[in-house]
Amino acid sequence: MIEVDNVTLGYGSRNFITAVDGASMTIGRNEIVGVAGESGSGKSTLMRAIYGDFSTGLRLRSGRITATFPDRAPIDCSEMRKTWWQDISYVPQGSMSVLNPLMKVHKQLIDGLPKHKRKGDRRAIRRDLETFLAGLDLDPSVLDAYPHQLSGGMRQRVLVAIASYVGPHLILADEPTTALDVVVQKRILLMLVEIQRRLGNTLVLVSHDLGVHYQIADRLIIMFKGEVVETGPTDEIFANPKHEYTQRLIGSLPRLGTRKSTVTALRRATP
Amino acid sequence: MRLVNFIAGRIAVYVMVLAVGMTILFFVPRFAPTDPVDAMLAKIAVQSGYMDASQVDALRASLSDTFGLDGSLLEQYGAFLRRVFVEFDFGPSLSMYPTPVMELISNALPWTFGLLFSATIIAWVLGNFVGLLAGWKPNSNAGRAMEGLAICLYPIPYYIVALILSVLFSYVWAIFPLTTTIRGAPWSWDLVRSIVWNSFLPAMAIVITTFGWWIISVKAQTQALKEEEFVRYARLKGLSDARLLGRYILPNALLPQITFLALQIGLMFNGSLITEIIFDYPGLGLLIYKAVLQGDYNLLMGTISLSIVAVATATMIIDFLYPLIDPRIRHG
Repeated sequence: MIEVDNVTLGYGSRNFITAVDGASMTIGRNEIVGVAGESGSGKSTLMRAIYGDFSTGLRLRSGRITATFPDRAPIDCSEMRKTWWQDISYVPQGSMSVLNPLMKVHKQLIDGLPKHKRKGDRRAIRRDLETFLAGLDLDPSVLDAYPHQLSGGMRQRVLVAIASYVGPHLILADEPTTALDVVVQKRILLMLVEIQRRLGNTLVLVSHDLGVHYQIADRLIIMFKGEVVETGPTDEIFANPKHEYTQRLIGSLPRLGTRKSTVTALRRATP
Repeated sequence: MRLVNFIAGRIAVYVMVLAVGMTILFFVPRFAPTDPVDAMLAKIAVQSGYMDASQVDALRASLSDTFGLDGSLLEQYGAFLRRVFVEFDFGPSLSMYPTPVMELISNALPWTFGLLFSATIIAWVLGNFVGLLAGWKPNSNAGRAMEGLAICLYPIPYYIVALILSVLFSYVWAIFPLTTTIRGAPWSWDLVRSIVWNSFLPAMAIVITTFGWWIISVKAQTQALKEEEFVRYARLKGLSDARLLGRYILPNALLPQITFLALQIGLMFNGSLITEIIFDYPGLGLLIYKAVLQGDYNLLMGTISLSIVAVATATMIIDFLYPLIDPRIRHG
């Protein structure tokens, strides 16, 4: 569905700062792809480029990113805007200020949709929203809530709901479980998996938390210092990591029954 | 129930603010070294020549009574509060004796308020509109030009603009009247036309000098909001610029502007001293000016009380309106 071909990305024009250096990857249909790597490894920059968000000085220096959605001719990432909130949607990290504080949730659920879906019979839209939320185990009362009335976990679930209500072919989720406690994390991960199974679409999940990837990703992409260092099925990577960085990353995961401090393993890996 | 508590609490604060304001207003002139009765007596003595002691004493007693200066300080204070809050009476004007102060104020108030209100609203709407667009595209030529204009206009002292307008459009090209003269029967078209005609230059002067500030403040708001996460998220949802501006940026940018606007409306009851002097406009500012020059205590007390009440009322009204426009306060 997405072809990333030897892409170099960075910021600024005169003083170009490289964030992603010669990355290649393929994202297929009906799969959950996890993108892992530490802060500054370029995973968010790569996601922005795939999404086609070249707003704040992000530049594609070389390479190509092509998207092929069903019922649409292949398009370049520079034209992705046309497909926003139709073929592709995005789940941001659910911080305090990610939703408009003056707008009720139900309006923010539908305001990314094309006009003919947004306008029309209000009651029908409302009923549709309520059944949709009920299907995701969310109480319909959140529709009339303002963002500040939602807890952090609820806000994140609402953001997932907003992105999936569109019924897109591809959902990009950028750190959707960061800054949430483990119980809430689990709920959101289950919700993401459930939506992916139901829509049969593709979910790309960006996280620095390998535990999160281990739970839901079918395939993993490991990034380190702007490069894709390893890709493969999650089980294989966890069982047999090939790249030195991946080995140390997995080695740093705390395990039951081991007493050795594993922080040193990572410290050596990140100069 | 929480709403009732909120309203009751806010009204209690309002009453307290008024009480404190009025108390200060009562005591400050009484600590002044001058005695209005003596001043008045001296004035009368100059005009009437010789008076014997009993006449002077009678006059003093009668004047003390009219000015509310009888009895102990506490008794005077009680009488003052009763007159202000119950009877709305500030006694007769001393300089335009015996016209009641309230009559002078109620004659001047519509003038001042009509002028300042319309000028402020025009400046507010224009300034916010221009500032919003300038903040949305701060690097475009139009955005830069608008910011330049605002920065040029904002620091110009009001009286300079007023004098320039007055000289240019009433003297060099005698389009508008130099001083205010209103003609026409009450409630007639002639009167309305005459008012608009006479108020045009002062209103323009106010619009020109205030709207720069609205541009600068709303532009800063807009630029900050553009970087907010929720605006970025809405943009990534594919919202058009118009909807992004109208639904995400404008409502959030206007919140502080509404507060400023309401405060401005409260301050209008001070009148606009310089405007009214330059254009000889029969409003509250001119009234206060005359009261100060002529030592008209009653008139001064009346006009200052009015502005205390107006500012306190305006801030209370904002506090009541804010929950309606900001859900975070309504439910928070």
